[in-house]
Amino acid sequence: MRKIKGILIIIILINLISCASDQQSRDPSSYAVPVNNFTKTVELLIANDDFLEEEILKINAQNPSVQRILLDADKKLRQQNYRQANSDLERAFRITKSDGALYLRLAHLRYKQGLLRQSESFASKGLLLSNISSWERLLLNVYLKN
Amino acid sequence: MKIKLTLGVFIGFIAITLFIFFAAIVAVIDYRVTSKLDGVLWTIPAKIYSRPLELAEGSKFNKDNLIKELEMLSYKKVSNPERPGHFSFSKSELKIFLRGYMDQRSGIFSLSYENSRIKSISNQLGISEDLIKLEPTVIGGMYPSHMEDRVLLNWPEVPQVLIDTILSVEDQNFFNHFGISLKSISRAFLKNIQAGEVEQGGSTITQQLAKSLFFSSEQTIRRKVMEAIASILIELHYSKEEILLAYINDVFLAQSGKRAIHGFGMGAQHFFGTSISNLSTDQIALLVGMLKGPSLYNPRRNPNNATKRRNLVLGVLNRSNKISDSDLEALKSKELGIASPNYRTETKHPAFHDIVRLELQKNFDERDLRTKGLAIETNLDPVFQNSLEKSLIETKKQLIKKYGSKLSDLQGAAIAVDTSNGEVRAVVGSTKPSSYGFNRSINAIRPIGSLVKPFIYLTALNQYEDYNLTTILDDSKFSMMSGGKIWEPDNFDKKFHGQIPLHVALWQSYNIASARLGLDIGFEAVGDMFLDLGIEKQVPDYPSVFIGSFELSPYEAIQAYQTIAADGFYSPLRSIRQIKDTKGDIEFSYPYSIEQRIRPEPIALLKFAMQQTFERGTARGYTKKQIKNWNAGGKTGTSDDQRDSWFVGFAGDLLVLVWLGFDDNRQTPLTGRTGAFQVWKNFINDINPVTAEKTSLPRIEYFWTDMQDGQLSGEKCKNSLFVPFIIGTEPKTVPDVRRKCSNKTKNSEESVLDKLKEVFEGGQG
Repeated sequence: MRKIKGILIIIILINLISCASDQQSRDPSSYAVPVNNFTKTVELLIANDDFLEEEILKINAQNPSVQRILLDADKKLRQQNYRQANSDLERAFRITKSDGALYLRLAHLRYKQGLLRQSESFASKGLLLSNISSWERLLLNVYLKN
Repeated sequence: MKIKLTLGVFIGFIAITLFIFFAAIVAVIDYRVTSKLDGVLWTIPAKIYSRPLELAEGSKFNKDNLIKELEMLSYKKVSNPERPGHFSFSKSELKIFLRGYMDQRSGIFSLSYENSRIKSISNQLGISEDLIKLEPTVIGGMYPSHMEDRVLLNWPEVPQVLIDTILSVEDQNFFNHFGISLKSISRAFLKNIQAGEVEQGGSTITQQLAKSLFFSSEQTIRRKVMEAIASILIELHYSKEEILLAYINDVFLAQSGKRAIHGFGMGAQHFFGTSISNLSTDQIALLVGMLKGPSLYNPRRNPNNATKRRNLVLGVLNRSNKISDSDLEALKSKELGIASPNYRTETKHPAFHDIVRLELQKNFDERDLRTKGLAIETNLDPVFQNSLEKSLIETKKQLIKKYGSKLSDLQGAAIAVDTSNGEVRAVVGSTKPSSYGFNRSINAIRPIGSLVKPFIYLTALNQYEDYNLTTILDDSKFSMMSGGKIWEPDNFDKKFHGQIPLHVALWQSYNIASARLGLDIGFEAVGDMFLDLGIEKQVPDYPSVFIGSFELSPYEAIQAYQTIAADGFYSPLRSIRQIKDTKGDIEFSYPYSIEQRIRPEPIALLKFAMQQTFERGTARGYTKKQIKNWNAGGKTGTSDDQRDSWFVGFAGDLLVLVWLGFDDNRQTPLTGRTGAFQVWKNFINDINPVTAEKTSLPRIEYFWTDMQDGQLSGEKCKNSLFVPFIIGTEPKTVPDVRRKCSNKTKNSEESVLDKLKEVFEGGQG
């Protein structure tokens, strides 16, 4: 398990560096392909739904009150009560519209509901946020690859 | 003997006939009693609510708007809140005694805030809370034909004090009689003589219920007998608790316009703006006292009568040892505490109501809406709605003052939506917003004028390899054959502007350059873009479509602009959030759905050009700081012969569209700026939207360019503007004439990081 985690961290670091260089590309044709260098880590996450969900639900909101709503939503998500989970996430969304944790969950919820195009769109929208971490960025990219 | 026998037979026959007749009557009444009380006893209308305002720790809020909302909810500003419905405001703290709504309990809460952001929330014990929820306003209902309105209570929800008061006043012997009570009648008679006025009625609660459910109010012996039979049958079939609960839910308490207020649950909402569980003893005494004469003791119309009657009921409670002497005096001295009549009244905001109804019709049967007691939670923001209505009315007055009475028939529509998720916050369909009639927000299909241009320019910018914001367009004289006639577009200022950059043509709203651009990119590409933006109508293939002959309703137009305001993510507009059943469980929801239709980079370029409308175009007048904070952008529109005046603009998290014109399509003296923009401005200035969220687009970079030739320029060069480009699409050359001034300073966003980038990337760009 430790070995896997170690390998994972190395892969993430390599990919983050390559991602940074991708963002600085000045070739307009690269504009049509948003992110293409996260592949290995993303594939690992795609391959295991439970692992992906575990990672998504670990991401905390920046605002403590939003975080508490997310905890409720997470509980309902795990119980597959998607309608109520969505209601909680939308409630949180009305408090803040710039939290990566929220977009990740919305993308994941739609993915679980089988609404793949919406899942991808939430992920794309989350990627527009200016205050998300590299790990959140990577996780959001998973839904673009699904 | 024969005669005797015949008489006996006759009497027997009569007796049997009477018995059969009586038995038939009893059977009929019994059937009515059981079928009505066993089946769906009450048809409960669906209620339409505004959104409940949630105030969360760390979230932004607008103090002025919050005060407006509290006032709308009949909260009273006091120095020290001590009753539900009180609040106080200081420089850094809001103290509020919430009435309670759904999972939000009633109680005193303190919110400390700084710079329009909530720092912390605590309850009366000083324990920290995440968020509090204000109760929503009822903006309407879906009523059955009899217009009865009620909130159904279950037995555990009925407070003991209500039971005690009802029984003390209406039927002290309730748990001992079998439906009718001679003892009650005689005791009521004696008590009323002693009191010198009618304190108690003689009918039992069961009789009153029977009368209310099955019979008219006529005072005949026949009806009294029927009522007595029904009462006995009710007692035979149902428990005392079931009978009392039916009574509590059924009694008539008031008439509010066409709406009949039935039951104590609805009575509490109607008169005190809260649920029955939050009422104090004096408030319950008032409601129970009203049973004797709902109109005579109506606390809004006859407060003195109501106060006397309440105090009389409190006296009865005291004599029944339900309250002490000291409590009696304290309760008698209390004000009635009635919520404002504006709160929870009949259907308000008919234009919004129409849109809700249309959305509901897709998923619900009309009968269910009128009978199942559904709670429809909408996205309506009551403060925004009131402000938008007021802005339209006030602007019309200002315009009449300026242009004269020829504008007295001027009509209008306005819609405000949340830019990010398509939630409809406010809708106005007329310059008389509270009256029913033609709802122009959805039904006025009008040429959108220059509101179409951003769609055309976005189609071009989406072809990023061929077009950017400084691509030169041709605004010189032009004509072509269209529909067998010569078509020759003209600019509003009747001038030609020659070669101009694309962004200038958009914010200056030049028709000829726009028509040429539309023809260059083609009808098919423009049609595809319309579809992506959410316009489902076919784009006709005549060139005037590129400069605004295309017709849309305000609602259709704002849907397309929502996709732009949301950075290319289409979200169907939603007036409803969710629908709950009588137990509070979600029966149906309208989830936030998005679909990325256009990449955000071309949208960012378009938004920049739309921002110039505010900085130097037809919507100028705001400071740079305001425009930046709101990330504001917009577009004016004026149709042929100034028959329609349009403005659409986003500011902060709001997108607002306004249309003004005449119903008979005659000419107005208004342009988009002088008409619709004034409504928009009045509204936005009033509600002052919160600062826009920042987005990050790594593939966008800014360059100084010349506003005439579109080529590279510099900060110190005359006539230059800092324009965004998708990286790699920016102009590459600095004309010799500007080489000197462009070298004076570097692009303002250059930093140490940019210099490092230059080192690593060999100074590209």
